[in-house]
Amino acid sequence: MARIGVDVGGTNTDLVLECHQGVFYHKLPTTLEDQSIGVIEGILTLCEQAGIRVEEVDTLLHGTTTATNITIEHNGAECGMLTTDGFRDILHIGRHKRPHNFSLHFDVPWQSRPLVRRRNRIPIMERISPPTGEIETPLDEAAVRQACALFRKRGIRAVVIGFLFSFLNDAHEVRAREIVLEEMPGIFVSISSEISNTMREYERFSTAAMNSYVGPPTSFYLRRLQKGLEAANIKARLRIMQSNGGVASVEACCERPVNILMSGPAGGVMGGLWEGAAADISNIITVDIGGTSADIAAIVNGEVKVKNPRDTEVGGYPVMAPMIDLVTIGAGGGSIARVDEFGAFHVGPNSAGSMPGPACYGRGGVEPTVTDAHIVLGRLDPDKALNGRLALRRDLAEKAILEKIAQPLGISAQEAALGIIRVIDNNMALAIRSTTVARGLDPREFAVMPFGGAGPLHGVALAEAVGAPEVIVPVAPGITAAVGLLRTGVQYEHVEPVLVMLPAQSADAVERLDGAAKRLKSNLLSDLSSLGEENATYDITFFAECRYAGQGFELRVPLENDLISSNSAGNLLKDFHAIHHQDYGYSYPDAPVEVVSLRATGKIPPQQEEARELPLPDEQGIARAFLYSKQTVFDNGQSLETPRYDRTRLCRGEQVRGPALLIQQDATTLVPPEYAAEMLSRGGTRLKRCAI
Amino acid sequence: MEKAPKNGFLDPIFLQVIRGAFETIANEMAHVLHRMSFSSIIRESEDLGAGLFDSQFNTLCESESTPMHIGSIPAYLRGIQDTLEDGEWYDGDIVVHNHPYHGSSHSPDLAIVMPIFHEGRLIGFAANTAHHVDIGAATPGLIIDVPDVFAEGMLFAGNKLYRKGQPNKALWNFIRNNSRAAQHLVADIEAQIASVRLGKTRFLELVEKYSEKTVLAASAQLMDYAERMMRQKIAAIPDGEYAAKGYLDDDGRNRGQQLPVVVNVRVTGDSLEVDLTGSAPQTPTAYNVPFEGSTKVAVYAAFRKLLLDSACQDVPVPSNEGSFRPITVTAPLGSIYNPVFPASAEARFTQCNRLIDLILRALAPVMPEQVIAGSSASISFAAYSGLKDDGNYWVFLEVNEGAYGGRPKSDGPDSIDNLMANTRNNPIEDLAMHLPMRCERYELRDDVFPGAGEFRGGIGVVKSQRMLSDGFITHESERHTDAPWGLFAGHDGAVGRCTITSSQDKKIRHMSSKFSGEIVKSDDMMTYFSPNGGGYGSPLKRSPAKVLDDVLDGFCSVDVAHDVYGVVLDLEREVVDESATRARRQFMMSCT
Repeated sequence: MARIGVDVGGTNTDLVLECHQGVFYHKLPTTLEDQSIGVIEGILTLCEQAGIRVEEVDTLLHGTTTATNITIEHNGAECGMLTTDGFRDILHIGRHKRPHNFSLHFDVPWQSRPLVRRRNRIPIMERISPPTGEIETPLDEAAVRQACALFRKRGIRAVVIGFLFSFLNDAHEVRAREIVLEEMPGIFVSISSEISNTMREYERFSTAAMNSYVGPPTSFYLRRLQKGLEAANIKARLRIMQSNGGVASVEACCERPVNILMSGPAGGVMGGLWEGAAADISNIITVDIGGTSADIAAIVNGEVKVKNPRDTEVGGYPVMAPMIDLVTIGAGGGSIARVDEFGAFHVGPNSAGSMPGPACYGRGGVEPTVTDAHIVLGRLDPDKALNGRLALRRDLAEKAILEKIAQPLGISAQEAALGIIRVIDNNMALAIRSTTVARGLDPREFAVMPFGGAGPLHGVALAEAVGAPEVIVPVAPGITAAVGLLRTGVQYEHVEPVLVMLPAQSADAVERLDGAAKRLKSNLLSDLSSLGEENATYDITFFAECRYAGQGFELRVPLENDLISSNSAGNLLKDFHAIHHQDYGYSYPDAPVEVVSLRATGKIPPQQEEARELPLPDEQGIARAFLYSKQTVFDNGQSLETPRYDRTRLCRGEQVRGPALLIQQDATTLVPPEYAAEMLSRGGTRLKRCAI
Repeated sequence: MEKAPKNGFLDPIFLQVIRGAFETIANEMAHVLHRMSFSSIIRESEDLGAGLFDSQFNTLCESESTPMHIGSIPAYLRGIQDTLEDGEWYDGDIVVHNHPYHGSSHSPDLAIVMPIFHEGRLIGFAANTAHHVDIGAATPGLIIDVPDVFAEGMLFAGNKLYRKGQPNKALWNFIRNNSRAAQHLVADIEAQIASVRLGKTRFLELVEKYSEKTVLAASAQLMDYAERMMRQKIAAIPDGEYAAKGYLDDDGRNRGQQLPVVVNVRVTGDSLEVDLTGSAPQTPTAYNVPFEGSTKVAVYAAFRKLLLDSACQDVPVPSNEGSFRPITVTAPLGSIYNPVFPASAEARFTQCNRLIDLILRALAPVMPEQVIAGSSASISFAAYSGLKDDGNYWVFLEVNEGAYGGRPKSDGPDSIDNLMANTRNNPIEDLAMHLPMRCERYELRDDVFPGAGEFRGGIGVVKSQRMLSDGFITHESERHTDAPWGLFAGHDGAVGRCTITSSQDKKIRHMSSKFSGEIVKSDDMMTYFSPNGGGYGSPLKRSPAKVLDDVLDGFCSVDVAHDVYGVVLDLEREVVDESATRARRQFMMSCT
């Protein structure tokens, strides 16, 4: 029995294999032309390393950027859309708000690169009448067939059906799909009431359109991967990471690829969740620092937070699919520092990427980056970074910082390098505040968990900036997302629109809530049971999305179960007031509350695997891990002779006092003076201020 | 505490650190207000602004919400200073203010202001502004044809909602009894209060962390920085005087009498003056623009868009009034852009947008790569209202979008908020579930085409709203008579129009661009068509592939493709007839 997590990013494909022989890691360059090539190659290599047969791998958990890349590269399927007559341009108009306040030359992505071009958005006579959902104008079925003829002529590969008020009554969307499938057998079809069954036409249509846009190429990739695995005799069942922090079957993701647009970053957060649990910590701020960006998320009481559906978008297009609440900012190792023509100093969001990369890479980059600053400050050792694969050039890093920052500002290269770190840390700290303080969470009750190769260099500075008492560095910071995949369970989600006022005026209102909850439950049970996982326990949770009557944004309130009584409706009301107060610092205790929808998630908990324990120390103590000493500059400008330790040779319970650097294959942890690093029993490292 | 500034001057690295903190606070304040609020004009349209200010009313930070609010709050603060209840600030006060002759942008935009005391001294303010649905004016929601400022409803001048932390119950009671949408008004004021309280907390945290002196030094430096940016850009414009003239449809009462708008831009070195002398005298209706809170704000915004375009330069501009310092605005007292008390000045948006459009036109000869062709440069602001079954009013404010003129390298964006406006529309479905109204059509306009050009103008919107109860409509729009211009051989766009279809006799009433308190019956339907933008550059230079796309997408007809663009198409195969197009374009060029 073996399980493999494989996380495919823009640059690297990371794999981790767990079996009775142990845990094995592997990293290889992502095969950009077809991610599945690298995935299969990596699995074969790992099995060889572990000395197991590929047939022994029974589960493969996969995080993929395939769907995301389609939205970035704009190479999705040519789509056709059927929509209500009179409302052909909902996707073109959007919410009529510009992406820029002060600009004449701005781009409008949903107009310059529409998910469905206007010629292929075909208005159909039909009308569902609000607020009851009765049919006022029947569906013009002949017009649907005519539209299909045009789609065939134009070689359309996917169809979107979005009718007004379909969240009240989906009959027309469902019937139109039947006709489309008769006319165009096998075509990829998304209907808005199924993909995002909620009120608000633009967001619902856009979500359905995005599903069709990424659908054919995404399912093509997943099927090809499946075939490739079969051909390589890998019989593992394949599970795909979704944006919501749960995995789903290939079939489910082929139907709803819109659910895996944030597959990549979700793995990192799940990794953070698990590493936190291994360190017995349930409030964690994960900071995943890559080359160009940092993803920041809060884990509260051992649970990831989900974004408010009103805030979820991908590349400027609203996508109302459940997503982990994470903030991405342009701050990474490759972020470029510069002094602008008017004298201000910036770091990021522009990045040197991996080509040409930071100046120290010696690939022709001349702009100073965050990585260059670490080199100049002696925090990254040129021969140890990137696992020694690439010898870094300190002279080039220094030259870039000197010429582009230090000289224009009249300061030393060291001051300039410290400035770069200070500003990038501040940018990340502000993003942490926006995901915690601005949402009623107090960072003083959280541990900062930095990962990504560069993450542990910034951990302490970030914790100090936001007032977090400690930092937990995961076992393998460079591969945390792949580890996270191994710890991720199945998760499905459904939503039912129900507009009901609270306090409930009638038995009917309670009944409607109850009915919706029952439907959610039965849909989830059928999803989960179709997975064929033996002896699985199902964990179903219910939420109500509520607002004060008249407000425009809902907040999510947990419900105990699917049995809605007048009593539980009363509790719901109370809880809503409290949550509103927590989020905004204010509530309106006398105002009526409106339930807008019920939502439920069904989970199969991940396999519980005890983390392996570090060996107990021998009498040699930390000297066993000592590598060498070198000068390193810390945030206060002090340059200290700083010992380097091989992090992988430190044992359970050992403490390393700062100043120190803990070096491992693809990450370096900075332990500043007055801090100590403590090796936790399961491999994580806790950094905490210590008494001198 | 952090290190104090050396000689009062902060290094750029530290400055960047504080700047980030400022921006986060302003956005957090706006976020709370936006998310909590009840009326759609705030919660969906985000017609609001929020920020922190020092005791001299300088902006420390301001949210990037809606341009019309950005830069308007300092004028409110000066107005409050002149009118403040008790004549002084106490810790725990909260003031409401909207008097158009004391610095407000216009009366529905209520400012809520909270003073911030540190160690017993007033060190600054947390403040926000938000557009309220109804403050008890002459007609529900919006006003145009009214005699004077007292028809605008409740006017607040430095009034305290809270004094030393205690609610002023008389004032709250008064407010509750003087609005057609009192419940929303009061709840939204409470949301504004939650936002300024948050701002106050954050300001004090900042002062604790960095010291008051450092925070204020940082804001002064950020203003100098923004000023430096603007001056460098102005210096690149050749010195000289540049003029443009346009016409507003009418004042909302005296039909057929156009009102001139004259813009003179005088550039001298690194500063400039915008002189509006020659524009129409103030009107006898509400169709005037408060000078401090709106005219000046619009002019500043014009130059931020033109010279510090956020899509073109990768250096973000700090949101403060440093960038306004090199710009002087002149409008004679008693003119439409600087009215004299007691003229009403509530309906001021479209004049602001036309002002910006004309500034761009004036500068076109010397900045051909930066300006754009004529935009819709209006707004459609509609107030629908009626009585509910319980006898109370319902009032709904709707902002309809416009279209941009063609641009030097791209087509004008279609159906999108234009220039000073940047709000969000209301979901049709949310509306129909909660109000006795029903949207019958919401699409790109297809009755006329946008201005042709190498880069075509944007396409306006058509929106039909049906009333499901008897009621009133007031509508503030513009540009029914003076179409957006084409630029550099681009063609003019199209004027807007508005109709009301009667449910009883199916007769169509053609409405003026502005009308007040129009009585409508259940099932009557108003349809608004916003103006189409003008084209930029000669249509004969437009890529034939784009013309084909436009025809397939319904943005252009086969005839227009042939007659105006000189492009011949094979529509059956959906391709350009290349050789016929070459011949056609050669022929057309030889004719000119």
